[in-house]
Amino acid sequence: MPQPLLSLQGITKSFGSAPALREINLEIAHGEFVALLGPSGCGKTTLLRSIAGFVTPDSGRIQIDGVDMVGSPPHLRPLNTVFQHYALFPHMTVAQNAAYGPLRAGLSKREAETKAIEALAMVDMARFSERYPRELSGGQQQRVALARAVVNRPKLLLLDEPLSALDMKLRKRMQLELKQLQSSLGITFLFVTHDQEEAMAMADRIVLMNEGRIEQVGTGPQLYMQPRTRFAAEFIGEANFFDFRRSGGAIELNGGLATVATHAPDLPDRGLAVLRPEFLRLADASELSLEGCRFSATPLETLRLGSHDILYVQAQGHTMSVRLPGNRLPAHLPDQVELVFDPANLHLLCQEP
Amino acid sequence: MSAQKFPALLLGAALAFLTAFFLIPMTVVLVASLQDKAGGLSIAQYARVLADSYHLAVVLTTFRISIFTTLLCVALAYPLAWYLVRIVRWRWWRRACVILLVIPLFTSNIVRSFGWIVLLGRNGLVNDAAVALGLADRPMRILGTETAILVGMVYVLLPLAVLGIGNALLKVDRALESASDDLGATPLRTFLHITFPLTLPGVVASAVMVFTLATSAYVTPALLSGGRVTVLSMLIFQQYSATFDFSFGGALSIVLLALTLILVGVASRFGKVRT
Repeated sequence: MPQPLLSLQGITKSFGSAPALREINLEIAHGEFVALLGPSGCGKTTLLRSIAGFVTPDSGRIQIDGVDMVGSPPHLRPLNTVFQHYALFPHMTVAQNAAYGPLRAGLSKREAETKAIEALAMVDMARFSERYPRELSGGQQQRVALARAVVNRPKLLLLDEPLSALDMKLRKRMQLELKQLQSSLGITFLFVTHDQEEAMAMADRIVLMNEGRIEQVGTGPQLYMQPRTRFAAEFIGEANFFDFRRSGGAIELNGGLATVATHAPDLPDRGLAVLRPEFLRLADASELSLEGCRFSATPLETLRLGSHDILYVQAQGHTMSVRLPGNRLPAHLPDQVELVFDPANLHLLCQEP
Repeated sequence: MSAQKFPALLLGAALAFLTAFFLIPMTVVLVASLQDKAGGLSIAQYARVLADSYHLAVVLTTFRISIFTTLLCVALAYPLAWYLVRIVRWRWWRRACVILLVIPLFTSNIVRSFGWIVLLGRNGLVNDAAVALGLADRPMRILGTETAILVGMVYVLLPLAVLGIGNALLKVDRALESASDDLGATPLRTFLHITFPLTLPGVVASAVMVFTLATSAYVTPALLSGGRVTVLSMLIFQQYSATFDFSFGGALSIVLLALTLILVGVASRFGKVRT
């Protein structure tokens, strides 16, 4: 790997006796779009603020392009931030907000204005340049904050829950626009979110955090298909869990609910298996001969959502969810349904039950 | 009582109070100021205020002291407020500081001014210290100068300015300062471009309050002037209590009010910051 843009080595930080970050190691390449994902309190914002320079880690190194950053104040770091509530300067117009960075970089008033208008045009806000922030809607403020942060072409753009204050429709649109902006600018984006769907939609790579640690790093599909821990499997998407026990060349789920042949050489004797709801389906008559990966269950509840249906069932005391293509479920389900799954889709967690 | 009548009643009470104790006396003063000795309409009293060099000097002294008091108060209050709001970490210490700041306001103005008489007198603490340190050969005359009045006024009015500016500082969203820092501004630039402009309305409001209180102050200048300096409020008091010239006293009052309003109006224009 060539020199990474951002390199974090052994970052730790405590607030009082509460550890916020424990031994964070991470490298981010030039031009990547990376999401820091996790529940609130997992340390993702603290990590972002450490990179920006607003928080000083207790130990560890932060390097940008090989240059050590710890100890240098935010205004000397080659990065910019989009703040959670935008933090637009209320006493300045949109144009003045966008020109703030170039002016501080020592550009003349005229050059700064030109750059500001260019940046605003990029997010389609140039025509609002004489307005004041309070005269703009949330989405427009978001765009101005974005323009203000990229106007100096930083090496790294940090985004702190940038879309959390927007309504759902606007959020979806901004996700797409952010992604387009990132690829057209070629700037590395590191953004913090607690919304797994948002992380999946935008990021090339997701850094999943939990309790101050990095739980798993990978692309969205990797995290979804091969979660390493129960936390990862639960946090990203829906998951059905089964206890498994190995017996010879096969593993047995939930004490005999289903049996699957396996060729994996280094499996523990017991553990946890994950099966995503969409990998379960109703068996039709021709599949009744399939042995092992078929079981019967009692339907509990059906959610008909249009694009798909969610069926909650109970089998041997375990509740699980089944995701089915929309509008295929009969109006009345029988008391017992037969469910099947492809053993290839069963994912075994390496650690813990 | 119906729900709609109640607010009207409250408003009526306030209006009646203002009319009885503010509007009517003001009108009486205004009418008196426009009368000559015989009771006819005349602006002779105003001519006396503005054309006579002694009276004009008193007006100038009053506003000079008030403007310096305001400037000093703001200049001293901003760092103090900054210390209280931004630097103090321990809550109990901040609380102690605010209490120390507020307690003088509960004490009589007369007592506090006498305190300064003791401190600033010929054998007072200030002169003793100056002589002992070799800053002066012999005790200076401080009491009875504009400086003494200025010291007393700043002392009396400073807490109000600190509380006003501190409140303005408290309201500044720290994320805006972080954003400025993030965009490459040094701490000084952040202060000049972000923090100070955002607190400016609070600064102007405090300045206006200090200024109006300073122009109308009586006790502090009267006690610290030692009879050598005269300000408008003292002159007005003389007209009403000693010479019984209600017309001239009225004219002086109206001049004081008008000039104060004009200066406050000018100052407020600087405080208009869009937020």
